Amino acid sequence: MHIDPEQQQGPVGHCLRNLPQELDQPYDWAEFRRRARVRTAVAVRRSATYRSWLAAAAALVLVVLALAAWTRLGRSDPTPPVAHLETNPPVLESRGDPGYSASTDRRTDAAERWLASLPREPVVVRVGTRAVVTGLEDRIAQLDDYLSAARVEGVQPAALAGAEEQRALLVKSLAQVRYAETLVAEVR
Amino acid sequence: MARLGDITIPPELLQKAVQGDEAAQAVVYTSTAGATFALIRRIISNRAVAEDLFQETMMTLFERLPEFRGEAPLGAWLRRIAVSKCLMYLRSPWHRVRLQLENESEPEIHQGLSALITPAPPVESLDVERALLSLPVTARAVIWLHEVEGYSHEEIGRLFGRTVSFSKSQLARAHQKLREWFESGQDRQLCTSIQSNSKVL
Repeated sequence: MHIDPEQQQGPVGHCLRNLPQELDQPYDWAEFRRRARVRTAVAVRRSATYRSWLAAAAALVLVVLALAAWTRLGRSDPTPPVAHLETNPPVLESRGDPGYSASTDRRTDAAERWLASLPREPVVVRVGTRAVVTGLEDRIAQLDDYLSAARVEGVQPAALAGAEEQRALLVKSLAQVRYAETLVAEVR
Repeated sequence: MARLGDITIPPELLQKAVQGDEAAQAVVYTSTAGATFALIRRIISNRAVAEDLFQETMMTLFERLPEFRGEAPLGAWLRRIAVSKCLMYLRSPWHRVRLQLENESEPEIHQGLSALITPAPPVESLDVERALLSLPVTARAVIWLHEVEGYSHEEIGRLFGRTVSFSKSQLARAHQKLREWFESGQDRQLCTSIQSNSKVL
């Protein structure tokens, strides 16, 4: 509720109310009109600039969303479903293991077929894992060359058992690493 | 010169101004500009800022003139706009930073410069002017609004976005500082202060 200043009894208020009403004059009507035109022009320019920035930001957001959607759709994985792998991961045994049997050869073949069905490189390439995979593949390739050359030369199969066993271990390791890569890619 | 809150404009003139009659608008401007600017200058000591706020106030007046219903004097309505603009400025973060920087400088220089910039008022009120300028800007605004413009503590608290206690404490602080000012006898130095500050420029 407003108070009548004249009813204020304090001397300070009295002094303040007796101060001059006008300290200094503002500018005249013409100057006011000029400044108003300038302010209006600035406000219009700012509004136009703001609208253009807003449109650019909206376009950028749309582009980002479109890219994200396109990337997502482009990641259709030709590999076997992960669920199958989670319940039936390739399990390998070496010839030296007590439980080793002829079925181990079949499992090695199954692991190799599964590895062959994977894409050459996963969607997300991790440098450390890729180095391991490359190393394993190189070792397997070297053993394959050795075994092929030995069979051609007529070396007895029993003499190649160690190499075969080592190759099976390497395939097992490679399958495990690629399986882990596949799981990580699916989680991402 | 009438206070801003008491200024009235004939309804027919206001109607012409609303319809865009430039001559009528010029009369409205001329009738209210002096008192409006004086009120803003009492709250905002910096003239450049005061001119900006004055321009905004008068532009808002003409933009919203069609909404004026005439239930109170036009000056009272305009005063509300001016006070609102001033307090919005005082509450802005930019002003708070600027105020902090200004407070770090010597207050005497600001007082002297303020006296030089404005036309010198009569000698007997110069000490009151300087005393008022020596107050912190918030306390100055509160004491002016309460003691001169007649705002209640509730209204002042609402304008500042604070409580009634805030208004009362600011007013008490302002009164105390003004009393200290007058009791310290600084009014005897006002002539030498102006002369010495003229050398600053």
